[in-house]
Amino acid sequence: MAQVILKDVEKTWASFVAVARQSLTVADGEFLVLLGPSGCGKTTTMRMVAGLEEPSGGEIWIGDRCVNNVMPKDRDIAMVFQNYGLYPHLTVGENIAYPLRVRGVNRTDREARVAEAARKVELGNLLHRRPRELSGGQRQRVALARAIVRTPAVFLMDEPLSNLDAKLRVTMRAEIKHLQAELGITTIYVTHDQIEAMTLAYRVAVMKNGVVQQIAPPAEVYDRPANLFVAGFIGSPPMNLITGNLVDGTFTAPGVALPGAGTGSRDGVVLGVRPECLSLCAPGDGHMAGTVFTTELTGEAVLVTAQVGPARVIARTERGFAEATGATVGLRADMRQLHLFDAESGLRLPEMASRLPELVPGE
Amino acid sequence: MKRKGGWGRVQDGLVVLAAIVVLLPIVWIALAAFKTSVDVFELKLFFTPTLQNFATIFEPPYLIHQKLLNSAIVSICVVLISIPLATCAAYSFSRFRMRGERAMLVTILATQFVPAVVIVLPFFLMFRSLGMLDTRPALILVDTAIVMPFAVWMIKGFVDGIPLETEEAALVDGSTRLQVLRRVVLPMAAPGIITAAIFAFIISWNEFLFALILTRRDAVTLPVGLQLFNGQEGMQWHLLSAAGLLIMAPMIVLALLVQKHFVQGMTMGAVR
Repeated sequence: MAQVILKDVEKTWASFVAVARQSLTVADGEFLVLLGPSGCGKTTTMRMVAGLEEPSGGEIWIGDRCVNNVMPKDRDIAMVFQNYGLYPHLTVGENIAYPLRVRGVNRTDREARVAEAARKVELGNLLHRRPRELSGGQRQRVALARAIVRTPAVFLMDEPLSNLDAKLRVTMRAEIKHLQAELGITTIYVTHDQIEAMTLAYRVAVMKNGVVQQIAPPAEVYDRPANLFVAGFIGSPPMNLITGNLVDGTFTAPGVALPGAGTGSRDGVVLGVRPECLSLCAPGDGHMAGTVFTTELTGEAVLVTAQVGPARVIARTERGFAEATGATVGLRADMRQLHLFDAESGLRLPEMASRLPELVPGE
Repeated sequence: MKRKGGWGRVQDGLVVLAAIVVLLPIVWIALAAFKTSVDVFELKLFFTPTLQNFATIFEPPYLIHQKLLNSAIVSICVVLISIPLATCAAYSFSRFRMRGERAMLVTILATQFVPAVVIVLPFFLMFRSLGMLDTRPALILVDTAIVMPFAVWMIKGFVDGIPLETEEAALVDGSTRLQVLRRVVLPMAAPGIITAAIFAFIISWNEFLFALILTRRDAVTLPVGLQLFNGQEGMQWHLLSAAGLLIMAPMIVLALLVQKHFVQGMTMGAVR
């Protein structure tokens, strides 16, 4: 067990900046998720921690030693790969035992620990099969068992669930979270799936173009996104973002007039409001006027997309909603959960926000 | 199965015809090897078989066992030298990016395009200067050079098929680079390496031109040794056939092995 510290780490290939110079600390026993679209540098960051990629600058510390010049094998880490990286010529048991075998653990110890790891991921009866005879979920379990068989200082997981089907992903997600909590091992987890990030992480680091945009607990990332990118990336369906102006505390845009959205006046402001914070009301009422563009039934709710001026906004409403496409509707925003961003820089404008009580995480 | 139409039958016929064309000479040799010199010229399927031919070719002046030994030593040495070298080269080409890598790969392949007849004379002069004419090391050297390009390309294909992730997993799991090679890459590329080894053996076993020019008496290999049967008494087909069977025997065994590994090679490595 150990904390992981990245000090002024950067990675560049010629003129391409994969990971911009920045620092990051992962606390002992923490579950940190690196989240971002493909090509944002999250995997490169993890590979530098693993030692599979050399940083162009900066220092990486695992526990109390700088590991810049330490081979991957000596970093006391375990990694789960997107395509599992299993050894096809070895049986499941031999795959799990591999980290012990190369470290010269004797046979009896090895067998006991393999059995223990296999039991934790419920693989006990498959030890004599070969990886190619297993399903995707089972292969994933083998990769997990191989990672936990040795109790490393740090777990690294590189999109471990992305090759599984949706249903299995939910089950495995829970299992990974349970395992990590049980073992208490510092974990860095890379994903582009915001649901995985929200459900698994103690803290989420949202990345874009090699730069960490925000690093905070999931609830805070969701409730107080630091900028437009984070606001649009987290949440499904994404947050509605409407560009307009703030005039004496009233947010105005075509079809939108929202008094008390903020304080003061400013041009070029983006209003962010999540679909579940928008409700439909009679035409003329509420803060926005629009027409129904389409409705989608998700099962537990109906998503209504409305055309408001040039923008399309999505509202999550009750199942009973039955207005036809093209019908005129009003939309009311939940005043406690409005977000204001600067249109140019994309940054959150906390000083402009209204004085109404914010929703505190967990409330 | 789909029912075959007229064209399908024609195809079947052509396949059978092709098989006959290929196999008939082999059958003829197999029969002739057990015939007396008189019977050879008659296309009889039924005759009194004799093993006398096999006894004769081991006696002076033929002494075919010496040639057999030369062939075996040369071929085995070629495999033992070329395959480890080719495996290292193939791994490097597959995994490491280096300056002029493509040019090197293409050059290696291009050496295969040079007709052997063109370079056999320089080789002759070179080995004469070195005093290595009519020695096995000379043949081993030349055959290794012939075999290498193709072995490198073949093994590279198999190493390319090993996911990089598997190697990285082994590195993170605690292996050194060498352990990754020995415990992960070699077993996974084994079908390719074995196939390349068998082909290397076959190529050097059958190599004729260089062996003909670079040997005279001591280092003569089997394919060259067959000329002994073309003497003053004319072509001695029964003896030639007996020696021919000796040449073919390991080929047939190896061909069966290659077939097995080819199938294995194609189904392996597909673990994602």
